[in-house]
Amino acid sequence: MQNMNKPEANTTVSPVDTGISDSTLAEMLHAMTPAGADDADLYVQHSESESLALEEGRVKHVSSSTHQGIGARVIKGEAAGQAYTDRLEHAALMDAARAARAIASDAQSRAPVAVHTGHQPHALYQQGNPSTGASMAGRKALLERLDSYARSLDPRVKQVFANVSSSFTDIRIVRMDGAEMHDARPLVRLNISVVVEQNGKRETGSAGGGGRFGLERMIEGEEAERLTREAVRLALLNLDAIAAPAGPMPVVLGPGWPGILLHEAIGHGLEGDFNRKGTSAFAGRIGQQVASKGVTVVDDGSIAERRGSLNFDDEGTPTGRTVLIEDGILTGYLQDRQNARLMGMQPTGNGRRESYAHPVLPRMTNTFMLAGEASPDDILSSLDRGIYAVNFGGGQVDITSGKFVFTTSEAYLVESGKIVAPVKGATLIGDGPSVLTRVSMIGNDLELDPGVGTCGKDGQSVPVGVGLPTLRIDELTIGGSEA
Amino acid sequence: MSAQGMNDLQALTARLIELAQKNGAHSADALTVADTSDAVRVRHGKIESVEHEDSRGIGLRAFVEQKENGKQGLAFASASTSDLSEAGLARLAEQVIGMARISEPDPDAVPPLGAQHPDSAQMTEWKQHHASAEHAWNIEAARDAALQCEAAALGYSERISNSEGAESAFGGMRVAYASSDGFAAAYGKTSASLSVSVIAGSDDGMQRDYAWDRQLIGQSLRGPEDIGREAAERTINRLGAGGMPSGSMPVIYEPRVATSLLGHLASAVNGRAVLQQRSFLGDALEEGIFPDFVNIADDPDHPEGLGNRLFDGEGSRCSRLQLIDEGRLTAFLTDRYAAGRLKVTAGGHARRGLTGDIGIGTSNLLMQAGTLSQPDMLREIGNGLLVCELIGFGVNGVTGDYSRGASGYLIENGEITRPVHEITIAGNLKDMFRGIRHIGSDLTWFGSAAVPSIAIDGMTVAGQG
Repeated sequence: MQNMNKPEANTTVSPVDTGISDSTLAEMLHAMTPAGADDADLYVQHSESESLALEEGRVKHVSSSTHQGIGARVIKGEAAGQAYTDRLEHAALMDAARAARAIASDAQSRAPVAVHTGHQPHALYQQGNPSTGASMAGRKALLERLDSYARSLDPRVKQVFANVSSSFTDIRIVRMDGAEMHDARPLVRLNISVVVEQNGKRETGSAGGGGRFGLERMIEGEEAERLTREAVRLALLNLDAIAAPAGPMPVVLGPGWPGILLHEAIGHGLEGDFNRKGTSAFAGRIGQQVASKGVTVVDDGSIAERRGSLNFDDEGTPTGRTVLIEDGILTGYLQDRQNARLMGMQPTGNGRRESYAHPVLPRMTNTFMLAGEASPDDILSSLDRGIYAVNFGGGQVDITSGKFVFTTSEAYLVESGKIVAPVKGATLIGDGPSVLTRVSMIGNDLELDPGVGTCGKDGQSVPVGVGLPTLRIDELTIGGSEA
Repeated sequence: MSAQGMNDLQALTARLIELAQKNGAHSADALTVADTSDAVRVRHGKIESVEHEDSRGIGLRAFVEQKENGKQGLAFASASTSDLSEAGLARLAEQVIGMARISEPDPDAVPPLGAQHPDSAQMTEWKQHHASAEHAWNIEAARDAALQCEAAALGYSERISNSEGAESAFGGMRVAYASSDGFAAAYGKTSASLSVSVIAGSDDGMQRDYAWDRQLIGQSLRGPEDIGREAAERTINRLGAGGMPSGSMPVIYEPRVATSLLGHLASAVNGRAVLQQRSFLGDALEEGIFPDFVNIADDPDHPEGLGNRLFDGEGSRCSRLQLIDEGRLTAFLTDRYAAGRLKVTAGGHARRGLTGDIGIGTSNLLMQAGTLSQPDMLREIGNGLLVCELIGFGVNGVTGDYSRGASGYLIENGEITRPVHEITIAGNLKDMFRGIRHIGSDLTWFGSAAVPSIAIDGMTVAGQG
């Protein structure tokens, strides 16, 4: 596995000055928190992002944004009152504090507290803006370099789109007791996609990568070129793709990003809110066998520099490793503070929000299956007739019925253990609570994805990671067009 | 926001343009958006969350002239901020000009000049059809509607076993746009919505479904009991869903999923995608891509349209555009840039948010209804599949290849016989559009799209059973 080592030094950085004083934050907390509150917090956010995009050979879309705001939240039992504002003057902040209190009827306020520095857990990434090490001109040159490189790889490349973006999110969380946590979260991303044409037929391919590190790393070295080759290879491959079959058959998933299977089939169904409410197909199943022996699935938000990692979640709970399935047995849920409290469990560091203007929900971080012992070659050659799927686009799940989908972007028809031909993108559909009971071989080649995942829930997007070793599933339904 | 507030927004955009020009902009345009919104969620008859949001932001796009390296032309950049102080605006203007100087000039760049200002008659008409923010709804009525809606769903049948809750939300948005050649206008818009989702059955047999409505103001919403009943009925009807054998068959999309087909059409006729050779319809202008009974238009001025626009993200006038006329593709969606390169009049489809670049999008998409009721369509089809929910993103915009997860009902001998799930439907959008056999009379309005049921021949269904 890559990037498991922690960065060498942890330099403490002070929060971006949003002009809100500690005394104002304390005043807000006092105004918003009734005596009977179970929890309350303030979430002060300052974000900066920059993006450069190339199309038709020109870097002509350059943009940036700076946004700051504050979210005030009060929780009592199952109810939450929340107010969000980007007006940071005193009167507007106090209005927000009072609006957050709307769910509680008790007139008495909790005793005032002073804002003080809380316990800072691990340091998993460099604090600060990831774009400072890469000039705009350097980023522009990178995109131009990739454009000509892609075109040089094959004359059938007709269009190249390349985008490099970076963001920096500075967070201050002040908890009900006044403890303040600070994090500065970098995030960078590079995407390449190409359109190829042959005999009037067009296809597309794309690749991307990134994580929580300085942008200079995407510019220096070979990674950007590797992603470009990958995008071109996928597009050309799809020119020759045949229609995928329709119906149930065995599937071998390649390592890395195909871990999106776990995200959709297992991860969402184990989020605490759905289980507390009994709306998940996994509700009440802790201790039951939901996967073949040998299958262990974890969610780990504490891996250095990964896209899905955080020093602490958006409620200030340190991230860590949560074992969801151990040797086939369902062992854990992903929790934020509210759902953990209501279920009598511990928070797991999975309380996340897209921004200050969104509520906290239990969400995944980096979700992956631990490696087994089979060699990837043996797994592929075990396939008598089936699909070998190496790359995917997005996926989705119906939490309640447990049915989930994910769509291939690179897959092959396999007969007698040999690849016959690439097949067009097809959606694979299965049943979350039972799909992992059909796992019959687990590879020794665990990989994490290259840092491209974004998860949507209740209209909120957060960056996540997935990972998988090569895996054989004895039956999934392939949604091809060849009946 | 009061008229005073609206004037404040216009003053901010005007000030920003001025600062951009001081920094050396050839031309510039700016957009200010101010939102307020409230949401109430209830579950099992109790309030689960109350949310209130208040936000404002301003975005600037500035063009500069470049004459370096033998390249000559206009380059631009854009940026946004939530810091509306004079210092914040000054920083923004400086930042944008700095980035525009790095950006590459484009010989086809179209500066934001010459947009036609909405006249007073248009402004008056807009105000007649669009309530001000304080009339969108109110928190007490929204809370009561959510409670009634969920109660109606839970009380519909004993088989409703659980609830994901009901949510009501409402808000108002104000948009001010200004450009360096003197265009300055603003308008306001509201929306209100109510939704509920409930669960029937237990353990392995659990099913969930939902119902919702979204309108300009709370008073126009369907009755809360009506929405609650629909959600409960849909959920119960799904109980006992099973698989079905794979095969090629006709598929009926009910209106709430048929909207997605209009969405795929809108992406494919997006002028930007056409220029980038990323659309399977890029070469299909003036061709018959649907049967001749299909008519689809984009209408930015619909009495109930949540997608209404007085002007687009570049100040261009918006008017009704026939996209599909008797089956023929008659237009692409364009902003000023795409219109210039495709050599058509700008269609007023520039879609602009505070962050990122200008995009292209529809306002309200309207498909003309057919004559068959849904029971008539089922009889006409005979044997096939009725799709009620789709999941996944298996659509390739370059080739039109289509493969999505589905659930719905098996149609046998002209009637619905049983619910089915864990299936996929696949084809190619070109064949699917041409393969439309019937359009229903059940035209249904979904906020910014009006769509009837659509029956398509020859799709591939994959399932187990």
